[in-house]
Amino acid sequence: MILEVRHRTHYRYAQPAVFSQHLLHLTPITVPGQRVALSHVQIMPEPESIDSHTDFFGNAVHVATVSRPHGELEIMATSRVDRTEANGLIFSATAPWERVRAAALGLENQTPVAELGPLAFPSEMTGSDAAIEAYVRDSFTAGRPILSAAEEFSHRIYTDFAYVPGSTMADTLPVESFQNKKGVCQDFAHVMLAGLRALRIPARYVSGYLRTTPPEGKERLQGADASHAWVSVWDPTFGWVDFDPTNDCIPGVDHVTLAVGRDYSDVSPVSGVVVGAGNQQLSVSVEVSPAGQDAA
Amino acid sequence: MLHLTKTDREDGHAAGSFFADYGPVDAGRFDEVFFPDGTPRPHWRGLLDWLGGAGEAGYLDAAQDLARLRTESGLAFAASDAAELSTSDALPVVISAQDWASLERGIAQRARLADAAVTDIYTDRRTVSAGLLPPGVVYGNPGFAAHCAGWKRPPRHWVHIYEADVARTASGQWVVLSDRLDTPLGDGWMLANRIAASQAYADLFVDMGVRRVASHYAAFQEHLEQMMGWEGRMALLTAGENDPRFFSHAYFARYMSAALVEPADLTVRDGAAFVKTLDGLKRLDVLLRGVPDESIDALHQPWRAAHGAPAMSLAARSGAVKIVNAIGAGAFAHRALAPYAHRLAQHLLGEDLLLADAPCLWLGGERAREQVLAEPDRWRIEALTSAASFDPPGDSDEPWEVQLARYGERLCAVETPELAQAPAWVDGTIRPGPWMMRVFACRTPDGWTVAAGGVASVVENGRRPPALGFGKDVWVLPEEDRARPAVVNSLLGQQASTAHLRRTGRELLSRVADELFWLGRNAERAEAVLRVLSVCLARHLSGNRSDSDPDVLTALAGIHIRPNRNLAGAERYADAITRLVRGTPDGQGLPAILGNLRSGALRARASISAESWLFIDRLSSDRRWRAQGPVRQNAALSKLIEDGLLALAAFAGSAQENLTRNYAWRFLELGRRIERGMLGALAAERLAGSVRDDEATYLRAWLTLSDSAAAYRSRYMLTPQPAAVADLLILDETNPRSLAFQMVALERVLADMPTEIPYRRPEHRRALSLLTELRLTDPDSLMVATDDGNRQVLDAFTKRCEDDLAEISNLLSRAFFAHAEAPEALLIQARMHNIEDDA
Repeated sequence: MILEVRHRTHYRYAQPAVFSQHLLHLTPITVPGQRVALSHVQIMPEPESIDSHTDFFGNAVHVATVSRPHGELEIMATSRVDRTEANGLIFSATAPWERVRAAALGLENQTPVAELGPLAFPSEMTGSDAAIEAYVRDSFTAGRPILSAAEEFSHRIYTDFAYVPGSTMADTLPVESFQNKKGVCQDFAHVMLAGLRALRIPARYVSGYLRTTPPEGKERLQGADASHAWVSVWDPTFGWVDFDPTNDCIPGVDHVTLAVGRDYSDVSPVSGVVVGAGNQQLSVSVEVSPAGQDAA
Repeated sequence: MLHLTKTDREDGHAAGSFFADYGPVDAGRFDEVFFPDGTPRPHWRGLLDWLGGAGEAGYLDAAQDLARLRTESGLAFAASDAAELSTSDALPVVISAQDWASLERGIAQRARLADAAVTDIYTDRRTVSAGLLPPGVVYGNPGFAAHCAGWKRPPRHWVHIYEADVARTASGQWVVLSDRLDTPLGDGWMLANRIAASQAYADLFVDMGVRRVASHYAAFQEHLEQMMGWEGRMALLTAGENDPRFFSHAYFARYMSAALVEPADLTVRDGAAFVKTLDGLKRLDVLLRGVPDESIDALHQPWRAAHGAPAMSLAARSGAVKIVNAIGAGAFAHRALAPYAHRLAQHLLGEDLLLADAPCLWLGGERAREQVLAEPDRWRIEALTSAASFDPPGDSDEPWEVQLARYGERLCAVETPELAQAPAWVDGTIRPGPWMMRVFACRTPDGWTVAAGGVASVVENGRRPPALGFGKDVWVLPEEDRARPAVVNSLLGQQASTAHLRRTGRELLSRVADELFWLGRNAERAEAVLRVLSVCLARHLSGNRSDSDPDVLTALAGIHIRPNRNLAGAERYADAITRLVRGTPDGQGLPAILGNLRSGALRARASISAESWLFIDRLSSDRRWRAQGPVRQNAALSKLIEDGLLALAAFAGSAQENLTRNYAWRFLELGRRIERGMLGALAAERLAGSVRDDEATYLRAWLTLSDSAAAYRSRYMLTPQPAAVADLLILDETNPRSLAFQMVALERVLADMPTEIPYRRPEHRRALSLLTELRLTDPDSLMVATDDGNRQVLDAFTKRCEDDLAEISNLLSRAFFAHAEAPEALLIQARMHNIEDDA
């Protein structure tokens, strides 16, 4: 399924800003099940410079600098991606989770798998506590196939947590959202990551989108209005497999992957600094529709 | 004690009496001074002989000199430990040439190893894939800077400067206690300490041929110059005056001829780093980094680095700026290298490790955690990369086992071995104590070198090492065959001949211009307040009834503080003077002004002379101002005020004499003239705004306050007349205290300010207009009073002066200081609001 994404971010400043700098993770990356056909980012006013590079996690990053006075700024990201359903996953056939941990940590005389190390440890925003540790252990029993355990873990978070927009902030930590058993997709993903990494199981935070126009007869998915987030878990046979604890599903044709990292702070779609702006007003809109179909 | 008496006799060194309390040397514990048999080691002979000759009095003289010299070097404002240090042990530690040579080789190797290890984890990560380093050491730590990994063109070197805390074990082996890689730059402390010690012990220092450190830093400077290229620009980045390392940063920046900058002075454009100056953005080539890894880049680490310079890592990525040390070097700071140093040296350098580490375990491994839990008394748990003690967040009742497992990768367990002992001056006698020191290495065109010396301290066994700011100087003796090394001058003397020549006065940091401007204003305000106090006090103490009339005195104090309307007469005056001297809770009065003055001078210190700084520091740090309770108007207060006025006059004179007439001087002058003008207008309004019964005494007060009583007498020799006084204090352009004089001076400086527009700048036009109005005014019409006794023309005029001067100040801020404004984080994408809400 070909999906078209239009992601608009708009800042309005109380006073003309003399300088602003923006760190963008707005270009979808190529992952299994996702091919990127087209992507571009347009900024108004036109930046004096845009630096593009690939970061440590393989994401496409842009840093845009605007150094003329400007009272507002618009960032428009447009992309077209081809998504396929995740097929042929046999969770019960995956490796025991302890083996995946050993592969990440280089235990039991294994050569560490290079891409797993950076994702196996609690990061800035995925620290855990005793409660989260007890919670994750209920799913990760000894020798259990990693993806079976991950699927169940994701399902339990979906069941036990309430999706309540506005109940958390962008920098809320999982220890807090776990205690309150509520939050938004970012918190669901952070709780799942905190649990996995408490066991030193490598897992990545996935930033992306959901289709905003549901297929006929289906309900809109939660979190379909702006950026979405979910989690990816690794198995030696199947590689990275996504789990969406907010919607209790395996992301497929309705999800679009933007960037991956240790947590939100690695892949925040739009962040930055500004000089002299005073109060800021931010508005964001996201449309994700099948190609050729206008957004509602 | 017995053998020491013997030593004294047999070896003829006369220092025996000093060592009466030193105790016998324990055969199991290496002693820096004595062999186990009690005879002194040869390299200590010089110092022992000197102590014997100088006696206790001689030693105490040197110790006092040292304390004074340390204070004068600027330590007084550096740390709260200052008081403690001034009385601390002044005995240096002497190290022999051979001993130093082996330590030096070990430290230089260690620095190379650190650079190789840091380079590896940010490039091909062989150390991890080959199993030399557990992944958790690298990735489980906040020190790993993911945004600096995997660059297409990584820096050639990540580590250029390195410090280590080292100690000698009781058995005589050197060991490393801590690798300091993130923000070393403690060199400023070492240099200041060294310069003070070499002066305090002048002859001895020369006679013993103590090795100098200047050539080491000259070589470092050469290395930095190679990195920045011809016409390059170098700066040292500090977090500012509140950082405990600020003293070292400021001192080292001056020593190395680097501009001292704060994060807000830097900006990144087009992938290059720039310094914001009055003359616009100036490209920066080399940055000595005194701000930790994790707080340097506000763009890439918005939560931790709110005050960092945005996108600094981007400029480093493009290679446009070289950072010393590169962002990310902190990954191996403190103890991350220690458990693996042996095998890393073999694999990365192909060498055997020369210098061992004090016992250290990385707690990311289960076995290490078990060992620590089994021997809790042996190990001290610290953060792996920052030397902070482990302070578990959250529920502290949880068992250690659980906490260590949860945070293991970020932790290490360290053991401080039994240490060798060195002599320390404690409570009037010399006693032995375990000791350690910090040493300083840097990269030069010929590879790594180590500054011959260091900062040492006597420590408590098994405790965390102390903060090594100032301490015992470490003296390294030369090889026998070159007992008198060629004299190498300190770099401080040479600086004008090198980098400074290509710096013009216009290259003043926008932030510093801002600070100088306010320094000028605050100095003037402090002087005005002290002047008011001085006049009040003199009149109060004079006993002359009309002079000491509390209403006149209240009017004088009222220029700077609002009198309490509920009080009257003497009570109201006493209240006003107390609040003026002691300050009010909302920050009015003298203490706040002195506080601002000092903090402004401190921040602008690089642009004012050392002498100018001293005058301000002495005034603002004077403890007598910090007394509490009602102000007693007596001779003591009078002396205090006089001292303060003298300090300010000295500051003004020193600024006038020592600052070249560049932009730094101009901003100071602008601030001063604007403030003096505003306060002059205010005084006119408060003291002559209305006709009073005893007008003469108010006018006299105004004359005295304006330091113009003598001028008036020489001109008129009669009771003050309103028009004549106003002419002298407001309109006379030849009287340095008049309003007109301030306006002339202000206009002159404004006319010289840089401008890109063909006509006069707005603030200049404003000043010209005000000056013209002053010139067209005549004193009689200015002082005309209405029937109810109000001088409306004067009121309107003083009001206009105040408004115009405030506006000129604002216009200046907008024109010249806007760059200095610090960036703020942009809002992060609002998440998950419902689309219905938007609609």
